[in-house]
Amino acid sequence: MNNTMDFDRLAKARERQARRIAIRDFRREVFALFIDTLLIALLWMFTAYIVQTPARGVAPFLVLSWSVTLLICVVAAFLWQRATVTPGRRIAELYDKDVRNPWYRESWAIATILLVVLTFVVAVMFTRVDLVKLFTQTDNISAVMRQFFRPEWSIALLGGQRLIQTLFMALMATFFGIIIAVPLSFVAARNLTQGPVGRAVYTVVRGLLSFVRSIPAMVWAILFVVWVKSGNTAMGGVLALFVHSVADLTKLYAERLESIDPGPVEAIRATGGSRFQVIMYGIVPQIINPYLSFTIYRLDINVRMSTIIGLVGGGGIGGLLAQTMRVNQYEKSVVLMMMIMATVWGMDTLSARLRERIESGSSNPSLRGYALRLKAKIASRTTDGSAWW
Amino acid sequence: MRTPKKSNLVKETPFRDQLDAIKPRFFALMLDWMLWGYVAYAVMYFLQRYWWRYIDFYNKLTLPSWGWPLAVIGTLEMALLSHAFSHSPGIAAARLRLVDENLGSPRFSQRLKRFLAMNLALVAQPVVFALRNRKPSRLLHDSPSTGFMLPFAVIKDALPVKKPRPIYMTYRGIFMAFILVMTFWLGLHIAQIEFSVLAEGWDYTAKILGELLDVRLNHLFVDVNAKGLLFSIAYFMLETIFMALFATVMGVLVAFPLSFLAARNIMGFGTVGWGIYLVMRFLFNAIRSIESMLLAIVFAVWVGFGNPYAGSLALFIHTIAALGKLFSEQVEAVDPGPMEAMFATGARRWQVVLYGVVPQVMPSFLAFSLYRWDINIRMATVIAFVGGGGIGTLIRYFKGEVGRIPDAWGQVGGVILVIAIVIWLMDYISGRIRERIV
Repeated sequence: MNNTMDFDRLAKARERQARRIAIRDFRREVFALFIDTLLIALLWMFTAYIVQTPARGVAPFLVLSWSVTLLICVVAAFLWQRATVTPGRRIAELYDKDVRNPWYRESWAIATILLVVLTFVVAVMFTRVDLVKLFTQTDNISAVMRQFFRPEWSIALLGGQRLIQTLFMALMATFFGIIIAVPLSFVAARNLTQGPVGRAVYTVVRGLLSFVRSIPAMVWAILFVVWVKSGNTAMGGVLALFVHSVADLTKLYAERLESIDPGPVEAIRATGGSRFQVIMYGIVPQIINPYLSFTIYRLDINVRMSTIIGLVGGGGIGGLLAQTMRVNQYEKSVVLMMMIMATVWGMDTLSARLRERIESGSSNPSLRGYALRLKAKIASRTTDGSAWW
Repeated sequence: MRTPKKSNLVKETPFRDQLDAIKPRFFALMLDWMLWGYVAYAVMYFLQRYWWRYIDFYNKLTLPSWGWPLAVIGTLEMALLSHAFSHSPGIAAARLRLVDENLGSPRFSQRLKRFLAMNLALVAQPVVFALRNRKPSRLLHDSPSTGFMLPFAVIKDALPVKKPRPIYMTYRGIFMAFILVMTFWLGLHIAQIEFSVLAEGWDYTAKILGELLDVRLNHLFVDVNAKGLLFSIAYFMLETIFMALFATVMGVLVAFPLSFLAARNIMGFGTVGWGIYLVMRFLFNAIRSIESMLLAIVFAVWVGFGNPYAGSLALFIHTIAALGKLFSEQVEAVDPGPMEAMFATGARRWQVVLYGVVPQVMPSFLAFSLYRWDINIRMATVIAFVGGGGIGTLIRYFKGEVGRIPDAWGQVGGVILVIAIVIWLMDYISGRIRERIV
C-alpha cells in the first residue's frame, strides 16, 4: 500500500517536472520565433527602404498590408528555424551545443551581421550623412572659422561672472538634490520596504523616478524656464537640474542601499536597537562613502549640464553663448566655448581624483622614500626631549 | 639610548624626496589660501550687492586699484595664520600634522614664531634653497622653535594617545560650517533662487501644466507638415535612434584602434610609444570635455541648421573621445599574463594585441558601446535645440507655435511622453543586455 503510494507520488512528480520542462521549452520556442520574426521583418523593411528611392515617412516602403507581411515573416521564421540555428534559437539556447562550427559560419551570426550592416546603411541614409557635403559646402563654416581663429577676449570677464553663476547653479541643484534624495532613497530601496504598504510606496517612487529620469534635463529646463520667467532664468536651470538630480541620485543611492551587508543591521536589531539606531549605526557607516562618491559624480554631471542648459534659456554661461551666437559674434562664442571646455575638464579631473580618494578609503598616502626614512627615524627617536632632526 | 639607524629600505633620491615632502605642504597652503580667497570673494560680492542696494544707490562700489593686492596678501596672511595656529582644512586634507619636537601639540610661542617664519620664508626660502645649506626637504619655518609639519601617516604610531576634540569644537569644523553656510547664501543670490517667483508664476504654470498633461498624440504617425521638413513623431524618433546608432557605430570603429594607442601597457615601451600614448590621452581628454551640444552648434552651421547629419557628426566626435578613454582604461586593466607569454615566444606587438588583449576586452567593449548608444540617444533627443536634428525639432517647433496652435503644449507633452518611453525602454533593454554580456 505504502509502496504504491510512493510510486504514485513519484510518477506525479515526474509528470509535473516534465510538464514544467515542456512549458519552459514552449516559452523559449515562442520567444525564439518572436525574435526571428522581428529580425526578418526588420531585414525586409530595411532592404525595402534601401532599394527604393529614399521616401519620406515611415510607412511607404511597406507594399503589402501589415497582416500579410506579418504572416509571411512568421512563416519564414518558422521554416528558417527548422533549417538551421537562427538568432532567436541562439538567444533562447535552443540548439545542439555539441555541434559547433566557427561562429562566422553559423547562420545566426551571418544574419546578425547582415542586420547590423543594413541598419547602419539605413541610419546613414536616414540621417542624410554626406561626406562630400562636409567638404564642399564650406561657405558658412569658413566664415565662422575665420571668426573662431580671431577670439575676442574682452568677453572673458562677463563670461567669468556667468561661469561662476554656472558653477553655483550646479552646486545648488546638487545641494537641494541631496536633501530630497537621501531620505527618498530609503523608501526606494527594495530591502528596506517590507510589507504591502512599503512595497506599494517602493513601486510608486521607483516608477515615478525612472519616468522623471527618462526625460532629459534639457527638456525639463524648457518647462521650468516657462515657470520662472525672464528675471530668474538661472533658477529655471537649477530647478531642471534639481529634478533630474533627485531622480538620478535616488536611484544610485537606493541601489547602494539594496546591496548593503545585512549583518550589522541584524546585530543591532538583535540587541534591541530602535529603528533610528539601526539606521544610524547599522546602515549609515556602510553607505556614507558611496553616497559621497555618487554625489561628487552627480555634481560633475550637473556642472557639465549647467554649462549648456543656458542654450535653452536656463541661464549661466550657456545663455551668454546663445546670445553671442544669435548675433553671429562667433569670435566671442569661441572664448566662451573654451571657458566651458576648461571648466568641464577641470571638474572631470577633480571629481575623478576625489572619487578615487574616497573609494580607495585609505587616509594614508603611500609611504615611500622620504616618508619611510622619516618613519624609521621617529620609531628610533631619543626620549630625552632633544630635537632629533 | 638607541642611535638612529640608517634605513636601507629605499634608495635615497634627493629630488623625489624634496617633491614628496613639499607637495602636500604646498597643496595644503594653496587650499587654505583658496578657501580664504573664496571668503574674500563672498565678502566683496555681498558688499557690492548691499552697498549698491541700500547704502549708496548712485555710486556703485568698485574695488580700488590697491584692492586687488590687498585682497591677495590679506587672504594669504589669513591662510598663514590658520596654518600656524590650527589644524586647518588644508592641513587636514593634505594629511599633515603640526607637531613639536616631542610629537605633541606646539606651544603658543612656537606657533607665533612659525607664523613669522612662514612670512619670512615667503621671501627668503628661494634664497635658502639656492645657498643649499639645509636639507632639501626642510623648509625655513621648520625648526625646533617653530614646530614641524609631518605626514600624519608617518607619526601616527608614535603620537600620544589623546581623545580628539569633536569636529564642531575645532577651528576646522567651524570654518567649514561657515564656508558651507556662506556657499548656500551665495548660491541663493548668484543662481537667482527666489522661492517667491515660483509662487507668483504658479497660476500661469498651472494653466500650461494642464495643457501639457492633456497629451496629444495625433501626430504619432501623421506628418506635421506645416513648414518644410516636418514629419511625424515616429519618424523623428526613428531619426533620433539612427543618429545615435550612426554615431555609436562610427565612434566604435574609430575608437577601437585608437584606444590601443592610448593604453600604457601597450605603448609604454619606447620614447615614441610613450609620446603617442601621451598625445592620444591628451586628445581624448580634450575632446571629451567639449560637450556634444557645442560641437553640434558648429556642425549645424556647417551642414545646415536642423539637419540630423549635424547632430550625428557631433555625437560621433564626442563618442570617439568618450569611448576611446573607456576602452583604453579597459585595455590597461587586462591580465598581463597572456601578453607576457606571447612576448616571450617572440610575437610582434600587433599579434600580442590581436590574440592577447582583444579577446579579453571584447565583452566590456561591447557593454561600453551599448551604454554609449544609450547615452547618445539621450543626447540626440535634445541636440535639436541647437540645430542638430532629431525629435527635439518637434519640441522646438511646437513650442514656437504656442499661441498659434490651440493645443501646442499638448503636442509638446506628446513628444516628451514618446521621448520618455523610448529612453526608458532603451535604458532597460541595454541594461539587460549588458548584464548578460558582463
